[in-house]
Amino acid sequence: MRVLAAILIFSAAICNAAELTPGRWEGVVNIPDRELTVVVDLDRGAGVAWVGSITVVGLDIKGAPLSDIVMKAPEIVFSVQTAPPPRGLQATFKGKVDSSGMLSGNFIEAGNTAPFSLKKTGPPNVEAPPRNTPVAKELEGEWKGEYELNGYKREVTLQLANQSQGAAAEMVVVGKRTTKIPMDTVTQEGDFLSLQSRGMGMNYEGRFGKDSQEIKGILGQGPIEIPLVFHRGAAPKTQPP
Amino acid sequence: MRSALIGIVFLCATHFAPGQSMFRGDPAHTGVYAGIAPRQFHRINWKFTTDDRVFSSPVASGKVLYFAGDDGNVYAVDTDNGRQLWKHATGGPAPSTPAVEGRTVYVCSYDGRLYALNAQSGALKWKFVTGGERRFEAKGIHGLQPKNQTIADQFDVFLSSPVVIQGTVYFGSGDGNLYAVDANSGEPRWKFQTGDVVHSSPAYADGALYFGSWDSRFYAVDAVTGKEKWRFQAGEDPLIHNQVGFQSSAAVINGVVYVGCRDSNLYALDAATGKEKWRFNNEGSWVITSPAVKDGKVFFATSDSSLYRVVDAATGKSLLREDTKAYVFSSPAIAGDVVVYGVLNGTLQARDVNTGALLWEYQTEASKANKGWVLTSERKFNGPLVFHSPWREAATVAVDRQFNIGAIFSSPLIINGIVYFTSTDGCLYALE
Repeated sequence: MRVLAAILIFSAAICNAAELTPGRWEGVVNIPDRELTVVVDLDRGAGVAWVGSITVVGLDIKGAPLSDIVMKAPEIVFSVQTAPPPRGLQATFKGKVDSSGMLSGNFIEAGNTAPFSLKKTGPPNVEAPPRNTPVAKELEGEWKGEYELNGYKREVTLQLANQSQGAAAEMVVVGKRTTKIPMDTVTQEGDFLSLQSRGMGMNYEGRFGKDSQEIKGILGQGPIEIPLVFHRGAAPKTQPP
Repeated sequence: MRSALIGIVFLCATHFAPGQSMFRGDPAHTGVYAGIAPRQFHRINWKFTTDDRVFSSPVASGKVLYFAGDDGNVYAVDTDNGRQLWKHATGGPAPSTPAVEGRTVYVCSYDGRLYALNAQSGALKWKFVTGGERRFEAKGIHGLQPKNQTIADQFDVFLSSPVVIQGTVYFGSGDGNLYAVDANSGEPRWKFQTGDVVHSSPAYADGALYFGSWDSRFYAVDAVTGKEKWRFQAGEDPLIHNQVGFQSSAAVINGVVYVGCRDSNLYALDAATGKEKWRFNNEGSWVITSPAVKDGKVFFATSDSSLYRVVDAATGKSLLREDTKAYVFSSPAIAGDVVVYGVLNGTLQARDVNTGALLWEYQTEASKANKGWVLTSERKFNGPLVFHSPWREAATVAVDRQFNIGAIFSSPLIINGIVYFTSTDGCLYALE
């Protein structure tokens, strides 16, 4: 009798769980004394793989790509990492869709766990992650610049190279120590070059001058903005940096 | 005989026994207290609750503790049972540590006044009006937006704590002055103008006052005349005003001034000349704590790098380095072989003076509650959930959240093995 009851309860639990279907899911994460409003878009990609993006209102996160999306019915797990910790949000959602269509479970971040509850509100609208564009041939290669911060001079070498998925870039900053900064995002729009390193929280926005053969711009890291002008260094490399 | 008497008087004026009646224990601000501190945490003896956050450190005279709160009140509390003896309202938040001398309690308030209160009854004796209080401020401070907007520094949390010497009260003010006021009458004796807000507390040694200003200069001023003896220029940061200014109060021992600076250095300066003896750089991390000095070692802690550090007093060479997990603004207090300090994550940490080993920790209930997940499960600040935007009031809200988890800014007071401290949860604690 006890075994039968256990089987019935187990069966009921399975019946109450539902499979996740593509869609937009909206709801809240209830962390202590603060409610985070969350919008999650989940869709099937070109193959069978799931893709997704997330917006967290109030945390400056809009359309960040989801990663590690695993559907093992009835459990659904997905993660988001906006930048490497401790700067960026690194969180995981573990949940289930119940018979009423609610996706609910636990939100895990920085070792803390809180419940979340999301409701399907419509079709998915997954935001595509920013893609690198190619850069003009005349921008490819090595550039040299320097700036001063808190009385210390830093020398910067910038490498730009086109690859099949757009351009790649790396900065090497030599001051008291040498720091290599691979750029996550490289875009060129007209004369404007934009570089971003999420890990370092660093960005560079510059304008290429055809006459001067310089890239004049601003290097930003957190609260700091410093003028940085790149001059032509070595000849363009054929290999990616 | 006369020379012997002069010698005795001089010794009394320059070498203070460990005290408990003013910020950092004594006028030289050594941060060293008589007796011992607990090597194990046993219990909370009592907890006294106020109406708002508390940044002021407790001081004691006899069996009475004195401190002030952001609720604007100055409190007198029985050391034995935490019973309130009296309170006196000031006209603004009072994140200033009182000084007790004789039968008078002196304390600063954000209403721009220095109060002198009867230590037994709390009755007002007099109040002295300064040019007004304000916080340090700068355009685009810490990179906040809009960068051409003048913004008050959220981390300028303390007011100056008075020091009382030979009938004169000395304290700093948001109007940029260091004031000398007659302790009995409240009549001004002199004032010394600096280039910006003075919220550090003057230390006294050998007839001079030593203090830093938010103008990033450190001053030595004659205690009698108010004339400048020397000044020392620390770091400047015209870009984002982050690595600039003295918030730490100095300790003066054996002719050397030890003081932390927001330019991330701990300095050792010659007390007679102001000449730099050494500096210890903390790589961008503020030194807000007022150093404690004992047995040839300097004890302090840092903000962003969240480190408890011990350096050699003679050379500045690093001796110990321990992770505190979160920013430290609280100044370390030493009693016996134990050093105690508070952390902004809401924990009080006690370490062995010699080894740096963590002996015990106490975590406030507000810290355990971790509202808004200000802390990670390891009690570090949870960056993405706290500081997510430099725009408009986001930084103010972030700092407010950060301060709302029972953070401990106060410098602990240690008497007879009992540790007294305050927290932004609004409480004064007695632990043993």
